[in-house]
Order: sequence, then C-alpha cells, then structure tokens
Amino acid sequence: MDIKNENFDFELVTDDPVSLTRDMGTGCDNDNAKGMSRWDIMLVRVGRDRDQAAFAALFDYFAPRIKSFLLRLGTDMSLCEEIAQEAMIMVWRRAETYNPAQSGASTWIFTIARNKRIDRLRRENRPLPDLSDPAFAPETAETGEKAIFRQQEEEKIRHALKNLPDEQAKMIFSAYYEEKSHREIADESGVPLGTVKSRIRLALNRLRAHLDEPEGIWKP
Amino acid sequence: MNEQASFNMQVLDALLLDYATGALSLPLEVLVETHLAMNEDSAKTMNMLMKLGGVLLEDSDPVSLSEGALENVLKAIEDDEENPALDTRRIDTSDGFLPRPIADYIPDAGHSSWKRVGIGLFECDVVFEGDKGRAKFYRIAPGTAVPSHTHTGTEVTLVLEGGFTDETGSYGPSDIAVQEEGCEHKPVADNDGECLVFTINQGDIRLTGPIGRVLNLLVN
Repeated sequence: MDIKNENFDFELVTDDPVSLTRDMGTGCDNDNAKGMSRWDIMLVRVGRDRDQAAFAALFDYFAPRIKSFLLRLGTDMSLCEEIAQEAMIMVWRRAETYNPAQSGASTWIFTIARNKRIDRLRRENRPLPDLSDPAFAPETAETGEKAIFRQQEEEKIRHALKNLPDEQAKMIFSAYYEEKSHREIADESGVPLGTVKSRIRLALNRLRAHLDEPEGIWKP
Repeated sequence: MNEQASFNMQVLDALLLDYATGALSLPLEVLVETHLAMNEDSAKTMNMLMKLGGVLLEDSDPVSLSEGALENVLKAIEDDEENPALDTRRIDTSDGFLPRPIADYIPDAGHSSWKRVGIGLFECDVVFEGDKGRAKFYRIAPGTAVPSHTHTGTEVTLVLEGGFTDETGSYGPSDIAVQEEGCEHKPVADNDGECLVFTINQGDIRLTGPIGRVLNLLVN
C-alpha cells in the first residue's frame, strides 16, 4: 500500500454510487481513516447509512455533554434535557450534510446545539446558518488533506487554550460557558469594557497564531 | 496600527465571539451574520470559534439524560424519517446581491418604508421581534454629509454597499464601525456611489450640528 492509500482513498469514493449523491468525501470504511476521529466516522455513518447504532453511540457521548454545556449557561434543567434531545434529533436529520473535511463532529454538533438553543429562547423563528455553507468554509484544499488539517487545528486550539494567560482564558470561558456577551462580562466582573475587549482580542490573536504556523507543515 | 483601527479590531473580535456563543440580540446577530458572508477573514475566525466551541463541548463533564431519552429520540427520528425538515439555508454571496440574512429585511429602494430625512439621505426602520435597540438602513447619496450627531447608546454600523468616512476612519463594504456612547461624528459618503449601511443603535441619537439642533426638535 502506498502512502496515499493509507489515507482513505477519495478517488474510490467517486466510484461509489451512494457517495456520488453528495460531495462529502465519506468513503471511509476504514475506521482508522486518517484525520477523522471516531465521532467523525460515526457521524458519517449516520448520514450515509442511516446507521442507528452509530447514532446511539453519538447520542451516548454527546447528549450528556450538550446537557452539561447548557446547564452551565444557567438554562433550566428540563429545558436542557429537551434541547439536548432536540439537538440530537437535528443531528440525525442533518447528518447527510455533514462534511468531515470542513468540521469535526464535535464542532458540527456544537453549532447544532447552539442554533437549537437560540431557536428555543427566541420567539422569532429564524433559520440559522449552516456551518457547511461555503460562506463559512473558505478553505480550498483537497478533501482528504482538509480532514487531516482541520483535526490538527482542533488539537492546536485545545493546546492554545490551555496556554492562554488566565485573564484571557477567563474571557473565553465566561463567553462559552456562561453565555455572557462581552458587555455582560464587563458589567458583572467589574473589569472595564475596554479591557474586556482587548483581552478577547489578545486571546483570539493567540488562537489564530496557533493556526497560522508556517505553511508547508501540513500542506503536501 | 492607529488607536482607532485597533479599537475597531477589538470590537469586531468581541462581536464575533458573542455571535459564536449565541449571546447577541437578534438585530446584532443579523448584522454579524451579514458581515461574515461578506468578509473572509472574519469567516475564518468564526470557523475557529465554532471549533473552539466543539473542543469545549467535548471537554464538558457529561450529565446523564433522563431515563429513556435515547428511546424518545429514536422514536422521534423514526416518525419523521419520511419528511425531514431542514432548519438551514444557504447564505447567498453571489455578486450584485446582498447576502441572505440582510436581504430578508431590506426593502427595494422605491418602497414606501424608505423615508427622506435630509438632502441625499434616506432611512428605513427595520423591525425585529422583541427588539429593544433601533435598527435602520440608511442610503446616503454620493458625497453627502450626514448631519453631525451624537449617541446616548452604542451604535454599530455595517457597510453593505459603497463607503463612508468619519472622524474615526474610512469604511467600505463589510466593514463594521462602532460609535461608543457620547461620541460625536459626521459621516460623509464616498463620491463614487451610493452608500448603503445597516445601523443598530442601543440608545437615542442626538443631532449636534447647527442644523442638527433644529432637527432634534423634530426627532423629540
């Protein structure tokens, strides 16, 4: 097997009538498909094969985390449960549109849960954006390379997050885990609004810098 | 980078973070979403912030769902298997049209909801359900100066077409300009075409120039 075939071979995908229906690059029958996590593969199976066992595995892993995430936002316990279930129903319905080259399963499920929550808390029922939309996916590399690239990105984000100075990390955690706007963070923490904004800017710059390391490392 | 430019970048990052976590009011959410469809750098940052959300979701401590939650969900997906409802739309970024999120709200130039509020200056109220801030579109004729005015709340402006210059700098399509409370400014549209902006104000506007003081009598 040459190096290329160690990754899942996307050229084979085009010969597969099932996968032809969508340009998802999901011909990954090999569970060790490079660049894809276990959850990415499960999600592809749900979308491609309507695989209920794979869905149950995703549910067991992600539903309790969505619930936990929502509880941290101060959402009412029974509403958290409801939103978590509704989000997982949406995962099933929309799994076909999941593209492992563009986002990991956890990112994709995060955006679904985010949208579901906004949907429930708001009266106006506005359709929310789709992460697989080209407007949110400006990258142009080949599908297989992208899957590997973006998983490395997720690891880098995790690493960069651990290395943020405390006062910057605090801004990020308040934003995600308490769903505070930057203005609310300032109002409630007593840190001046300007300082909050500059800390957010510094934190995002650090995260961006980790993603913009010298070209050529991940590119073939 | 001058102070104002650096301030603008801080505000932009703070707004992007608020968008990612779902903390924005509906009008601001529409504004940021439109900006994302027009600006590739911000779309990349948003990609990163959604990945960050995925990482934080995976790192959450799971909280068990109620008994039978998976069975509920499996039953729901079997029930709607025949008619899956997608809650998503594409953001249309094709040339010559405004992207979808804002296109849903803006009337044609000839529509009666456009009101002439000065020489070469038209405004149009945008009504969002449950919205406390004031959202408006402005059309400013080429080279026209908007009367000098100040704000009792923060004003966020997204340039949709054309451009303008004020005391804080020059802004073109997809740029976001923020006027903090109490700031006075006098925007002048660029000469090379009509300027179309979407503005959200979280307080009242007070006109401050000599003509403005007269107009204030009309506003109040």
